[in-house]
Amino acid sequence: MVSQLTAPAKSDVTPQQPPRTRRRVAPSVGRPGVVWAVPGLVFFALFAIVPMLGVAYLSLTDWNGLGSPQFIGLDNWRRFADDPQIVQAVVLTLVLLAGNVAVQLPVSVLLGVWAAGHQRNRAVLSAIFFLPLLLSTAATAIMWRQLLDPNFGVPAQLAGVFGGDGNFVGTSRGAMIALVVVTSWQFVPFHSLLFQGAARAIPHTLYQAAMIDGAGRVRSFFSITLPQLKNTLVTSGTLMVVGGLTAFDVVLVLTNGGPGTDTTILPFRMYREAFQTYDYGYGSAIALLLLVVATVVSLLLTRLSGYDKMQSTQEGV
Amino acid sequence: MKSNSRLMRRVIAAVGGLGLAVSVSACGSSGTTAAAGGDGEGGGKLNYWTQQDPTDPVLQAAVDSFNAADDADVELQAFASNGYKDKVRAAMGSSEMPGMFFNWGGGSLDDYTSAGLLVDLGEAVQANPELESSFLPSVLEIGKVDGTLVGVPMRGTQPVFIFYNKQVLADAGIEPPATYADLEAAVATLSDQGVTPFAVAGNADSGWTELMWVSYLVDRIGGPEVFERIRSGDASGWQDPAVLQAAEEIRSLVDSGAFGTNFQSVSYGSGGTSTLLSSGKAAMQLMGSWEYATQVADSPEFAAEGLGWVPFPAYEGGKGDPANVVGNPSNYISVTTSADRATAFDFLETTYSEEYVQGLVDAGEVPVTTNAEELLASAPNPDYAQFQYDLVADAPAFTQSWDQALGLDIGTPLITEIQKLFNGQSTPEQFVSAASALQ
Amino acid sequence: MRTRPNYAAGALTALWLLVISVPLSAVVVTAFKPQAGYIEDGPLSLPSALTLDNVVTVLSGDFPRYVANTLLVTLMTVAVVVALAVPVGYAVVRGQTWLTSGVFRLFLLGLAIPSQAVVIPLFLLINRLGLYDSLWAVALPTAAFALPVSVLVLSGAMRDISNELYEAMALDGAGPSRVLMTLVVPLSKSGIATIGVFAALQAWNGFLFPLIFTQSTSSKLVTTGLYDYVAQYGANVPALMAAVMLSAVPILLVYLFARRALVAGLMGVGGK
Repeated sequence: MVSQLTAPAKSDVTPQQPPRTRRRVAPSVGRPGVVWAVPGLVFFALFAIVPMLGVAYLSLTDWNGLGSPQFIGLDNWRRFADDPQIVQAVVLTLVLLAGNVAVQLPVSVLLGVWAAGHQRNRAVLSAIFFLPLLLSTAATAIMWRQLLDPNFGVPAQLAGVFGGDGNFVGTSRGAMIALVVVTSWQFVPFHSLLFQGAARAIPHTLYQAAMIDGAGRVRSFFSITLPQLKNTLVTSGTLMVVGGLTAFDVVLVLTNGGPGTDTTILPFRMYREAFQTYDYGYGSAIALLLLVVATVVSLLLTRLSGYDKMQSTQEGV
Repeated sequence: MKSNSRLMRRVIAAVGGLGLAVSVSACGSSGTTAAAGGDGEGGGKLNYWTQQDPTDPVLQAAVDSFNAADDADVELQAFASNGYKDKVRAAMGSSEMPGMFFNWGGGSLDDYTSAGLLVDLGEAVQANPELESSFLPSVLEIGKVDGTLVGVPMRGTQPVFIFYNKQVLADAGIEPPATYADLEAAVATLSDQGVTPFAVAGNADSGWTELMWVSYLVDRIGGPEVFERIRSGDASGWQDPAVLQAAEEIRSLVDSGAFGTNFQSVSYGSGGTSTLLSSGKAAMQLMGSWEYATQVADSPEFAAEGLGWVPFPAYEGGKGDPANVVGNPSNYISVTTSADRATAFDFLETTYSEEYVQGLVDAGEVPVTTNAEELLASAPNPDYAQFQYDLVADAPAFTQSWDQALGLDIGTPLITEIQKLFNGQSTPEQFVSAASALQ
Repeated sequence: MRTRPNYAAGALTALWLLVISVPLSAVVVTAFKPQAGYIEDGPLSLPSALTLDNVVTVLSGDFPRYVANTLLVTLMTVAVVVALAVPVGYAVVRGQTWLTSGVFRLFLLGLAIPSQAVVIPLFLLINRLGLYDSLWAVALPTAAFALPVSVLVLSGAMRDISNELYEAMALDGAGPSRVLMTLVVPLSKSGIATIGVFAALQAWNGFLFPLIFTQSTSSKLVTTGLYDYVAQYGANVPALMAAVMLSAVPILLVYLFARRALVAGLMGVGGK
């Protein structure tokens, strides 16, 4: 029982409902009332929920930051119909998201599982693989911006060898690829750590049983490792989705929404409307749109993965 | 539990009330908070904001000598140029509003003037007529919004013209272009030599460099009246055939390789187009006169020996006078309602003082004060200074750069449309309809 | 167990090693190159000379102040997050009313709120509270947006504490505060460490909030400072790379001295 108490959380446990057996002590003694949650709740409400209401209100106004907002009803929302770039922004956001997940998830899983092994050199290499986490998003984006410079960066040097003109980030496809590459480069180490931790927790007995049954490496990976990693896959995926929907820093530093509007994703479009063109009303409408897209994606994700049911992966062991 | 739930109800009510109160009040009154800040009472520190720039030391010297002479406390703060406008904007809505700030005059001051945040400098002129008579009238005009003077010139004039690398052109055996036909021929020759004819910063941060091409072409083809219509709010100005023709010329320039093939990733300045020019990878660059200072800071030998300049060429059959100029007439200093008016008005006198003007001249600027011409001989590069002064003095029309004249809410999306034109993401016709839709 | 060498894994990890190490070494090497050479040679070539000039340039500017500011903001954020999330986690896990489970669901929903979406009203709120351009203007919203994940992680950690222990304390007549301080907090230390690390990384990495809510040099952070350097240093790419390299040093120090805690903290984010 001691080990159960002190072991770091290593497996997913069903959230327990209090057992409906007779208790020896009144059930409410020693239990915190909701008052305990109030400070955190008030703080969160003040900085997150109230601003959300503010966004909803502002989206119905016309305001440039000076003076008072003018109420204009649904005009900002009607503007969406005339603004083809908004649709482009939503599509680009989803494309970028899909690209990020498609690259980061497999690479992180593979790396994490590999790093969970016990060979000696893995520790050294793991330390190196951890290094990108030391840089902030801004630093990473700046580093890549220089490296991808068409005249003085890597594409230019390679152009000398392979031909081409070094124009990479300035092309529509190259800009998107660059965003995915930079984001993946930075976050794969983080996600692979998650998988490493989870993979270490997979009981060896499962693998041994599989070996006895004659399963090879690939087979046991797909039949044992992946299913055991299910909850981490969902957590990681959720974090990737939330991160992908808000990836703003990279876009600002690396492509500034360009070329033209080909990487102007929804959060960036909102920033541009609100803080570069000073149309806070329209920017707020876009922000609400972003919120809607984020909520839909999150709901889909939790529904598809059954996250809210939070099943244990240890059942039957 | 009963006391718990009563407590709960009170807490929820308090939270709800607090939240509602905060959100409602947050929206409306930030402007008035700023205005109530300081209206001549308790002088204190007077903040003077400007953009980071090689001429900052001249401003600092003026501030220092003013502080010493008048026993004042003016503080100069310089901010990195990417985001300077945003910073001013954000501060203008808050209690952090500076007392005086550097700006581009014209349309860039529209919003602030209509919000009542700027002081009418007409009062300063009444007290001190020299404030008006010391400047070239055409430049002082751009400091006015709807006839009210809200900005006083405080920098040199910045016309836009073509800079070229003497060595590269000599190697290619061509002269700097005098007509548009010359320009197209030069493009062909230089491309054959493997040199980028014109460096242009096409990356998404630097679209204003492409704007210069559009501005000049429209001016040469249709005359300054075309943009004048657009600027005064007449959206049909975009439908003028000059605009479409300019867009088509841009298209053929890009297609003929005038800007090279990777310009969409290039940025302006040191490490970008300026370095391309100085290193000989590009032959020419259409840029504002501040390019000289950038080159001096970046590659002094090139700036001294290898850099040449020439006005934008004439366009055969165009309605615009080939002597017309596009660019920044000057930069301006404006006074906000949070400043100690008396001190600020006194400070404005430094903008035409001999020391200040001399300092600007020494830094390579061409001031727009009436006393400037005599001082030009002492400029670090007198030929360059004289060239600019003559260019501006002889110009029948000086059009302010479009993004400054139109204000941010049209200027910013317009630059995006221009970028799409250059990148080939829009056809000339699409560009025209997108631009007219902006107004 | 016989193990054939896993060639596929070997090849992939070698590839990934290249992907990670080439850009990083380019940064480090460039940071020590003299400026003149960079324009000619490009980032992948070996330096002809090495110099400390760039490091000196960066360190003698405002950079140390940016680092100090960022460290302060990080501390402030972590303090606020831990102080607020622990009681919430406790209430959510041990509370029995519909209110407490409602609170939990509220925070779960809060996970979906992208911080950029509410930046405009936040900006107004910060102004109104008189916090514009202060370090609290960055720390408070960052802490607020770190709360949902923190509550999630902490509730998972606290759930692991078995019921019998709670009941034993209840038998002793312990009130909720005593239970919190003497039982829950010590036993959920790893969870608290995890949210501490998470909040610290959020603060360290933060870009949008500092960009919008602060503007003067005295309150600038490393992230926004680096962004300014891009414009400021222009062609002096070695100096820029020196700044990038130096920005990693504080976390590198933490990594070297507290590696286990840092890694365990990060792993714990996914554990529940």
